[in-house]
Amino acid sequence: MSTILEDIQAQISGVKTSVAKENVGIVRQIGDGAAKIEGLTGAMLNEMLDFGNGVTGLALNLEETEVGAIILGDYTSVKEGQEVKTTGKLLQVPVGKELLGRVVNSLGEALDGKGDIKTDNAYPVEKIAPGIIQRKSVSQPVQTGIMPVDAMIPIGRGQRELIIGDRSTGKTTVAIDTIINNANANQRAVDEGDTDYRPLYCIYVAVGQKQSNVANTIQVLEENGAMKWTIVVNAAASDSATNQYLAPFAGAAMGEYFMDNNMDALIIYDDLSKHAVAYRQVSLILKRPSGREAYPGDVFYLHSRLLERSARLSEKAGGGSLTALPIIETQMGDVSAYIPTNVISITDGQIYLETDLFYQGIRPAISVGLSVSRVGSAAQIKAMKQVAGKTKLELAQFRELAAFAQFGSDLDAKTQAQLERGKRIVELFKQQQYNPIPVEEQVAVLWSMQNNYFDTIDVDKIKDCQAKMQEHLRDRKADLLGKIKAEGKVSDEIAEELKTTIGEFIDTYK
Amino acid sequence: MKASKQAQRDAKQLFQACLVDGALDEDRARAAAAALAEKKPRGYHGIMAHFQKLVQMDVDKRTANVSSAIALDDKARHHIKANLTKNYGENVQINFLVDEGLIGGLRVQIGSDVYDGSVRTRLNTLNDSF
Repeated sequence: MSTILEDIQAQISGVKTSVAKENVGIVRQIGDGAAKIEGLTGAMLNEMLDFGNGVTGLALNLEETEVGAIILGDYTSVKEGQEVKTTGKLLQVPVGKELLGRVVNSLGEALDGKGDIKTDNAYPVEKIAPGIIQRKSVSQPVQTGIMPVDAMIPIGRGQRELIIGDRSTGKTTVAIDTIINNANANQRAVDEGDTDYRPLYCIYVAVGQKQSNVANTIQVLEENGAMKWTIVVNAAASDSATNQYLAPFAGAAMGEYFMDNNMDALIIYDDLSKHAVAYRQVSLILKRPSGREAYPGDVFYLHSRLLERSARLSEKAGGGSLTALPIIETQMGDVSAYIPTNVISITDGQIYLETDLFYQGIRPAISVGLSVSRVGSAAQIKAMKQVAGKTKLELAQFRELAAFAQFGSDLDAKTQAQLERGKRIVELFKQQQYNPIPVEEQVAVLWSMQNNYFDTIDVDKIKDCQAKMQEHLRDRKADLLGKIKAEGKVSDEIAEELKTTIGEFIDTYK
Repeated sequence: MKASKQAQRDAKQLFQACLVDGALDEDRARAAAAALAEKKPRGYHGIMAHFQKLVQMDVDKRTANVSSAIALDDKARHHIKANLTKNYGENVQINFLVDEGLIGGLRVQIGSDVYDGSVRTRLNTLNDSF
């Protein structure tokens, strides 16, 4: 009992009793998650406001006679005439490795029922992006495990690569495969005691998604052992527009913690189209002037300031990186719409997924012609550059010639060969979802393709041959794969070994 | 009523015309209000409503409401007046109010600035900290 008394006494003496100056206002209007407050002359932009009873808000509109604020939390408890105080603080979210494996909301509060999250650090949700001097050029790869991406549209650590396509074209699958592949690589490095490998931590921000979809995604990550390397920030469709607006920024803050502390992180914004819609809703409720398609005039700035926070930092500035994979959903393949063009112009490339390819059975339905990575081969290991250098060109030639194939007319041998090669490449690049391929296996497969080992295999047997080849390499030639991974290039010795191994395999397969 | 953007702009212009050396001249403000009511320009309701708001804000900035649980003696009032005048200028208008709900201590509000040393608020803060 005496301990309790001491604790209470300490609590009482710890409470500040000095009189401090506060800035207050009165709620004049409340509705739809936004409040108009009279007074609050000292409020600053994005300052947190205290509505009492644990309800906070963000000051977004600073007008001459009133302040427009959005409510974080339960706005039904806020009443007209209620007193509001400024707090002098910016909105912050908890950050740190303690969040890995957890599902949180836009304020960093746990949603997975595994208890409160206690962290030592908190980062502001809105932060100015690193400047030019603090940055370093992108040169380390992010291995997505998806062959067409790693071969032809390589992504580097610190890059922003947009994933764009219509509904149900596999955009989220590309992102989840990337998370799973990096989780597998992280775990392999831990198991092997590889201290040189820099793990890639992942943050998946779900904006305006169905709860069932997010639950499925979390289940897939858990089944593949990826959840322990991932933070999920969830602002579902049933959440307020305020939470959906804040979620990507909260995720970016969590990613910046890793970046500032010499670690690498990957953040996926799924998706920014819904984020723009949520911001439009918030802006219209706050009576901000609307522009094209009723979006507020600063919808470009909304995404540019978010995506600019992804960077690779120099050693002096922190040494880490934050790679962003924003997702945009187009309507009927229209990439020239307002929000898609905005985000295309901000990012360092895009992976364009087409519905036609999807229904033809080409999955992932990546349009190689329209997809680009502005970082390019700087983000590839040498081995991949060696084997995948000509692939994009060969595919482009195949697409050009594919029209002739329909006529079934006599084609010269060279054209026939190009067509056959193209068909095999297209077939090789098909991949099951949630089955990322490690980079060393990709190198072996692409080397085989470049050296014509698949030319004698029927097109409809290519996938089966590839799967068995990969299994053979993993089970019988793990040391060869290890050499490719360790050296990062196809040396003459490795090429000789591949020649022997693949040659023997193809003979056995036939 | 909610004034239109144009009405707000007009009201602001009118308000600024009533300022002399940065301070609101009450005679000018009265004259402006009377002229508006007499001439009734387009959208004058909105202009008057917003003008009233601006004048209210200006008056609030110069008005200090000092609330205490019991009536203050002259010495206390004089002390408070001296402090407020020092911080907010000679023009500050001070109103002394009694609010038993404060239990003890003082609450001073000038415009949006509040200095709350009342016992009620301290007890609430203590309660929130638990």
